[in-house]
Amino acid sequence: MTRFARLDLLDPLEVARLGGIEVTTEGVVEGFLSGLHRSPRRGFSVEFAEHRMYQPGDELRYVDWKILGRNDRLYVKQYEEETNLRAMAVLDVSRSMAWTGAPETVLPKLDYARRLVAALSLVLLRQRDAIGLIAFDDEVRRIVPPRARLSHWRQLVQTLAELEAGQGTAAEPALRRVVDQLRRRGLVVFVSDLLLDRALALTALRFLRHRGHQVLVLHLLDPGEVDLAGPAEARFEDPETREAVVLRPRDWAGAYRETLRQVIGEWRLACRRHGIHYHQVITTTPFGTVLREALAPAPATRAG
Amino acid sequence: MIGFLHPWALAGLAAAAIPVLLHLLARREPPTVVFPAVRYLITTTREHQRRLKLQNLLLLLLRTLLIVALVMAAAGPTLPLRGVPGHAPGALVLILDNSPSSGAMVAGSPRLAQLRSAARAVLARATPEDAVWLITAEGVPQRGDSRALADQVGALTVSPRRLDLGAAITAADEVLAPESRPGGIVLLTDLQASAVTPAQPKAPLVVGRPSDPPPPNAGIARLATGAQPWSSDGGRITVSLAGDSGAAIPLVARLDRRPQRQALARVGAAATLALPGAPSGWWTVTAELGPDELRADDQRISAVRVAAVAGVSCSAAERYVAAACGVLESNRRITRGDEITLGRLGPRSSVVEPPADPAALGALNRALAARGVTWRYGALTLAPTSTDSGAAVGRVRVLRRYRLESAASGRTGVIATAGGDPWLVRSGDVVLLGSRLDPAWTELPVSAGFMPFMDLLLNRLARGEVSLGEGSPGDPIPVPDLVTTVRQGEREWRVEGGGSFRPAEVGAYYLLSGRDTLGAISANLDPRETLLRPEPDAQIRRLWRGAQVVALPDAAGLAFASGALGDLRGPFLWLALALGLGEMALAAGRRRDR
Repeated sequence: MTRFARLDLLDPLEVARLGGIEVTTEGVVEGFLSGLHRSPRRGFSVEFAEHRMYQPGDELRYVDWKILGRNDRLYVKQYEEETNLRAMAVLDVSRSMAWTGAPETVLPKLDYARRLVAALSLVLLRQRDAIGLIAFDDEVRRIVPPRARLSHWRQLVQTLAELEAGQGTAAEPALRRVVDQLRRRGLVVFVSDLLLDRALALTALRFLRHRGHQVLVLHLLDPGEVDLAGPAEARFEDPETREAVVLRPRDWAGAYRETLRQVIGEWRLACRRHGIHYHQVITTTPFGTVLREALAPAPATRAG
Repeated sequence: MIGFLHPWALAGLAAAAIPVLLHLLARREPPTVVFPAVRYLITTTREHQRRLKLQNLLLLLLRTLLIVALVMAAAGPTLPLRGVPGHAPGALVLILDNSPSSGAMVAGSPRLAQLRSAARAVLARATPEDAVWLITAEGVPQRGDSRALADQVGALTVSPRRLDLGAAITAADEVLAPESRPGGIVLLTDLQASAVTPAQPKAPLVVGRPSDPPPPNAGIARLATGAQPWSSDGGRITVSLAGDSGAAIPLVARLDRRPQRQALARVGAAATLALPGAPSGWWTVTAELGPDELRADDQRISAVRVAAVAGVSCSAAERYVAAACGVLESNRRITRGDEITLGRLGPRSSVVEPPADPAALGALNRALAARGVTWRYGALTLAPTSTDSGAAVGRVRVLRRYRLESAASGRTGVIATAGGDPWLVRSGDVVLLGSRLDPAWTELPVSAGFMPFMDLLLNRLARGEVSLGEGSPGDPIPVPDLVTTVRQGEREWRVEGGGSFRPAEVGAYYLLSGRDTLGAISANLDPRETLLRPEPDAQIRRLWRGAQVVALPDAAGLAFASGALGDLRGPFLWLALALGLGEMALAAGRRRDR
């Protein structure tokens, strides 16, 4: 199966059973790239972008003299910045990320995220883009600065493999630390189950957008978090805060689903409002599918 | 005020606690489940907790009310319909006690007149939509429209039959059982204590009773005519009186229309009168008391047979038999003659004992066969046993006996048995004894019952059984096998021998087989009718649970009372249905939410 099947389309748990992160991620990326018709390279190029009216203070070297000669109007040429993409993966390694509703059939969110970030990194590094990593729980745990060398991937994978689930979740400091790593505009991939303080996290994400970064939020959800199940009556306890609530899952499943739908809707709306790309990722989704959505050319967004 | 037809069903209200108990029993410390998205659950419960709690409370309430409504419906709730004229269509069984005691004269008029008047008032309340039945002492429920039944009540006379009030109430309940209309029973009676038997009325029961006390009364409880047949010299009768009259009462007795004999009798004592002789045949003996307020029990009739005493040829060789014949002869119960041969097979009626010498048994059996006797002597049995207790012999020890074997199919003619085998049998005019009347064979000759046995053997068994039956009008009285006709005066009834005959009236009835009279039946009032003492109301309520005991004139007002009650079973069932549907809808809504 491993020889002929495309690992990017397999069930994540099956992929994880095939071997370590390094091996299986390469397989995933190979499968993913072979299925693409064009490069997933995002829209940073040296090409001409557009004209706009000249405004006092514009550099004269960007004035389009031909238009001035034909129409007697001052226009300046605008170009996209010519650079390699610099990306930072910001990975949530809080205790809630170590949870799975069905250990036999579903990967814990953290294991899923490790493989997803590794695959994403390999794709970008193969495009000669640079990628780094920030792991956090209630504080920043690990920082791997972005590098574009392919050998950098080994370091990333090793770091990912060494990560263990921490305690609480504090995303804002980690997201703000991105600025230190990405001096120029780049891509921030925020991988988390978003069980955190939404207002603070959104503030930090908006800050990154203001700094001109493209921001991609991958919201990881375990299937057990989507559909509430359990014994007839149970005491549900938060692994991070130890908050608990006693209820009958059968009585509350419908209302819970509605609440979750609202939460996701609010995240989606808030992200869209600030030009942040939001993707909901169920941890049973094949890695290739998620990569395809995450690395699809972004619609034109208003920079910073 | 709501009433209940079956209040005991309200005990089922305890079941209303079941939903609450189930809820409490289901509560326990739940298991802990680690779940990262608890914050979403808290948000969810915060928003829906009140609604869900309300739903749970509503479900609990609906389920509890559903059980309550079903239990209430089962208890048959009723509500008086005040201010509504008439009554809803109902079913009513009117029991009118016209037993002999209702013939007692009270304040110058028969008790039955009061009962009839109350019965007509009850029937006057009936509407064409009501179903009405009438039960009298005849015991058969008769259905009819109120006008026809009122006419029947108007023509009703005192019946010679006793009415068992408990049985009548049970019969009324059976009549009402298939009725869908609300039913009720009205019993109009003198409440004679001896007629009150326990009953468990299912339908509402109203008992109308006279408010004035019954008169003192005395009646003839028993007329005994002694051993029969009487000789032509006459016989003796014994008259026993019952009642609550303490005075000495003149008693007159006579044999048919012959000169009467008079005596003074008292309640609780017996008077013996000697009646003069009469020619052979069947005669009617009548005993009559001086008149009192209840005339029906002042007379008692019996039938006697008068016949010449048997002429018996006794064997002097048998010590005990000879002695018995001597005593009977001295008491004029037999004479010396050849009408009956005692001890051996004679030319006419015979009482045959087995021979002392077994060698003679074969000759005896052959003689019996030649005579047409269907019984034979079989093997000698030396095992001691006893006769089976019976009217003819009683229980005596038998030491030796011959088995009596029937040559015909069946065992007809067996009078007494010993150890389960026939011991005293009759075939035609021959009576066979299984043992000799000797203490070496049976202890009968040295027992106290020997002389009565010999009298019975010679005067009745050997000459042909005299069947005398006794009973009350309406009772089934068995008749012997050969009887084909029952006659009273000029009236005759065809009967089947071995069956029973129900005399309709008081009197002497003769049992005929062709032109021969085989016996008689004496039909007299049930002696319990003499006792007019009424049962107290408290006892009535104890024996007939739920009965309303009222004065006779008030009974009509309570008739169709169940019809005047609004039956709330339907509304409660509809309520239960609505509650059930509501519960299902709410539960289904909750399942959809999930």
